[in-house]
Amino acid sequence: MTSPKDTPEATAETDADATTELGAVAKGEPDAAAMEEDTADFPLAEPALRTTRAGRLEARRPSSRPSRTRLGLNLLSYLVLAAGFVLTVAPFILSVMTAFKTPGQFASEPALNPPSPVTVENFITLFTGERNFWAPIAVTAQLVLVVVVGQLGFSVLAAYAFARIQFRLRDVLFWGYLGTMMVPQVVTVIPLYTIFSQLGLRNTFWALVLPFVFGSPYAIFLLREYFRAIPEDLISAARLDGAGTLRILWSIVIPLSRPILATLTIITVVSHWNNFLWPLIITSGRTWQTVTVATAALQSQYNGNWTLVMAATTIALAPLLVLFAIFQKNIISSIAITGFK
Amino acid sequence: MASRLARREAGIGYLLLTPSLFGILAFLVFPILVVIWLSLNSWDLLSPARFIGLRNFTTVFADPAFLRSMLVTVLFVLMVIPLQTALGLLAAVLLSRGLPGSALLRVVYVIPWICAPLALGVVWKWIFAPTGGALNAVLGGTTPWLSDPLLALPAVATVSIWSQVGYVALFFTAGLAAIPEQVTDAARIDGANAWQVFWQVKLPLLRPTMFFVLVTGIISSFQAFDSIYALTPNGGPQGTTDVIATRIYGEAFQTFNLGRASVMALVLFVVLVAVTLAQQFYFRKRITYDLS
Repeated sequence: MTSPKDTPEATAETDADATTELGAVAKGEPDAAAMEEDTADFPLAEPALRTTRAGRLEARRPSSRPSRTRLGLNLLSYLVLAAGFVLTVAPFILSVMTAFKTPGQFASEPALNPPSPVTVENFITLFTGERNFWAPIAVTAQLVLVVVVGQLGFSVLAAYAFARIQFRLRDVLFWGYLGTMMVPQVVTVIPLYTIFSQLGLRNTFWALVLPFVFGSPYAIFLLREYFRAIPEDLISAARLDGAGTLRILWSIVIPLSRPILATLTIITVVSHWNNFLWPLIITSGRTWQTVTVATAALQSQYNGNWTLVMAATTIALAPLLVLFAIFQKNIISSIAITGFK
Repeated sequence: MASRLARREAGIGYLLLTPSLFGILAFLVFPILVVIWLSLNSWDLLSPARFIGLRNFTTVFADPAFLRSMLVTVLFVLMVIPLQTALGLLAAVLLSRGLPGSALLRVVYVIPWICAPLALGVVWKWIFAPTGGALNAVLGGTTPWLSDPLLALPAVATVSIWSQVGYVALFFTAGLAAIPEQVTDAARIDGANAWQVFWQVKLPLLRPTMFFVLVTGIISSFQAFDSIYALTPNGGPQGTTDVIATRIYGEAFQTFNLGRASVMALVLFVVLVAVTLAQQFYFRKRITYDLS
């Protein structure tokens, strides 16, 4: 495994040699291919190349030599990036602004005007009376809690078995688990609906959590990769000390796997706070409405009453936005590690 | 002694797998058998199910609403995937130039991705509202974005693109950062300008990222439901936003044709498996760059 790592450095060395030669050639023949490079960008390219052979990479960095084209490019980049920023953020800001407007101001003034007076009337309406938005928040919070604990716990057990224990059907079962990752939710909701209906579990808390609580093939897959990297010595040492499997899991494997467990926790919280299709289908009425289902119901019931509806979306989005603000570094790297699904 | 230990260990292995195996069999494998059984039956949930063989398949494949939903889905995917990939790549390239503030922007762009698509759909339904909506307040006029049969699907696709560009950009940023400087430097020394370096060196090296982004994007766009349901309930104006997922939902839970809805679900499943397998095949053949 060492040779591939060595190769790039070796290439860099030869590259550097080639560079000086190329530079010399280019000096002699201004029309050479090497000179096609935008000369405005590199007015001092050749001397810089020759004198700083060791620091070649730095010397070649265009940014170290600001020019008018580069400045223009930077400006253009900022313009595009800023446009992206505005387009990304505007829907959130505008919807929150609307949530703090009185219905009267919303009806009489342009949509982009800031709220004046700022009012929490819409939120009060949202949380009182028959709409009582606390209920769906409580349901969703419980659901997320149960799914996170169950799914992660059972996934850890399965992943440990796949990563660290020898048994005959291990590889067959693991490939079977992986295969189920291809099954999309849209395909399983209809049969799941009929199954839960037949069991008399429709519109219960159990129906909301059962399909997810026993573990997820995806989490098992990621955890297995992680567990396999834990040094065998640690585990066999613990076993020699008389620790059983659960003990090893609890006091060695889990503490060492905190980063991946944090990642999976975030993923599970986000995807189940946001889940819509299954709760929409399996619940009816208000008792077990989740936040997303309640938001959709409110929107169709109070169609056109946008100040109230935007208060609901603000509440639906706020917890994850706060979560994101706190854990943005972890979330970004989670997405990069896992593809987030 | 050794074999008894091994047997004990195997027992523990199976024990640890029991809960997840139950979950996977009960809620992923068994439902597939049920959906196949349902596709062969006529069932409205009230009267007992009636076995009718392949009749659901013939009716579904002759059903104009289903065929239209296939077309709508393909159009939706064709609008979303190229645009979100191109914009994501553009954002990544600009973010990779090392300008101050890039790190923060990269994070901000991802925000829509972690939000509930349903809630974002509701927000955008207001933005698109003919009167009192933000878009018409900016542009002037009272364009009925979501109830015009020509505008509804592009509007719905826009929301999807908007919520996914930052996510796509994240992968391209990582992909660009993984390209060794020696490679691009070598190209520059060989006389390539920035434009050529991008198209002929960086983009080919981004192929694995490109495939990941395209395949996951296609798979999730084929299943898009939440934001479309929120923006245009009941399939939109003249069914122009009735993608396959909303069609399945309508067939199953609004007209209670569980058999026909199951046929549609199976069709979608086959399409998605085909996409996944095609990607696996293509990956094995084409991805030859090893940057590690």
